[in-house]
Amino acid sequence: MSTQVALWPQIRAVAGRDLLRERRRGEVTWVTLPFGAIALLLIPLAIGIDAPTLRNIGPGLYWIVVLLFGVLVTVRRTGAASDADSALSARLGIDPGAAFIGKSLANLGLLLAFQIVVGAVAVVLYDIPLDRWPWLFVIIPAAGVGLALLGTLAGSIAAGSGGSNLVPFLVAPLAIPLLLGATQALDADLSDGNGILAWVLLMLFVDLVLAVVGVLTARPLQETQ
Amino acid sequence: MTGSQQTAQRRSWLDTAALVALVGSLGMAFLTPAEATQGNVARLFYIHVPSILVAYLCFTVTLVGGVAYLVTKRRGWDHLALASAEVGVVFTGLTIAIGMIWAKPTWGVYWTWSARLTLTAVLFFTYLGYLALRRAIEDPGARAQRAAVFGILSIALIPIVHFSVLWWRDVHQPPTLLRPDEMQMDTPLLLAFYAGMIAYALVAAALIRRRYRLADLEHRVEVATRTGSGVIAGDAVAAPTLEGR
Repeated sequence: MSTQVALWPQIRAVAGRDLLRERRRGEVTWVTLPFGAIALLLIPLAIGIDAPTLRNIGPGLYWIVVLLFGVLVTVRRTGAASDADSALSARLGIDPGAAFIGKSLANLGLLLAFQIVVGAVAVVLYDIPLDRWPWLFVIIPAAGVGLALLGTLAGSIAAGSGGSNLVPFLVAPLAIPLLLGATQALDADLSDGNGILAWVLLMLFVDLVLAVVGVLTARPLQETQ
Repeated sequence: MTGSQQTAQRRSWLDTAALVALVGSLGMAFLTPAEATQGNVARLFYIHVPSILVAYLCFTVTLVGGVAYLVTKRRGWDHLALASAEVGVVFTGLTIAIGMIWAKPTWGVYWTWSARLTLTAVLFFTYLGYLALRRAIEDPGARAQRAAVFGILSIALIPIVHFSVLWWRDVHQPPTLLRPDEMQMDTPLLLAFYAGMIAYALVAAALIRRRYRLADLEHRVEVATRTGSGVIAGDAVAAPTLEGR
């Protein structure tokens, strides 16, 4: 007689496994995060240190760093499923959709930490005004969810066969709606609440589409691994 | 050479129709009266605009092929997805190249950071990624399934590229065709556009047909190589028999 395990414990187990591996190895903490901060430090040395210019372009640079280095967070080695992992998951009967959500949640947790730390570095280095900070509580998680889902999905698509090197190439163009949503929402006229809301809704819509596509395609993608 | 190979190499009615339509469309592009504001340089639009619309069409076929493959697992759908993606990339590249040639005399630069230009380049790189993904995965089944999923995701960029000129107003003009409001263009110019649309759609169809056949042949070679269906050494050894028999 087969017993059906509820989805939530499966999701929690997969997310917990990925986060535990990251805690042991510290790939994001000790490599990706400092690398992102260094990028923010180096850019002014290349383009000039004019304070008003840096204040103006600071938010854009922050989002570029989040996009490019965020992809590295999602394709880190501690999150990659080995053949043994895949075989074990299949034997344990872990639902592919639950595995996708679990891995995305682990990625989201790490991405949020990355976004907050790098954001603090950007605010300090570029003197970015935080006059619309309440919106950040929506914009940063919305962008993080999208990037986590996209990175997890692209990781599954390109897993093994030497394709994993392709993930940043696959993710960067498809993350354009998220990048546009995040930057335009912060650029929108503050007096026009609908302007910001429209961009936030775009990001939430993209998140929803990615979640649906990710769950629906998890099984066919798992069959190929 | 087998009969099927001879048939495959023979020029089909589609190739002929595409060639005739292409010559006709280029003729119309040169013979149509010059556009009032831009003059002769506007003739490039009779290639530029149909090219990108045909590219959209090709990428939509890639989506259809991918979804149909995931549902039916029939190899032909994957060949169709691959063929249309490759042709779509060619037409997107042509659009960008023609656009840059047009931009130099008009805007004074080959490239400007217009939302439409940038996003079209992003679309180009996205489908290059699709093709790169296919090359990176060796197993044909895994390749087809994963490429199908990526093809589904990538289609989301097309509405963003097309409507970007309405959402972010900059130096790039609004869409000439497929726009929400009524189109305003003189009939001779419109006819040249439509001729271009028909011609480039036929060229794309002819290219996709040939690439589909090539993909099918590639797949047969791949299967034959992987399964080792050729003659092996053991086949040459017969069962032992008495001398003189």
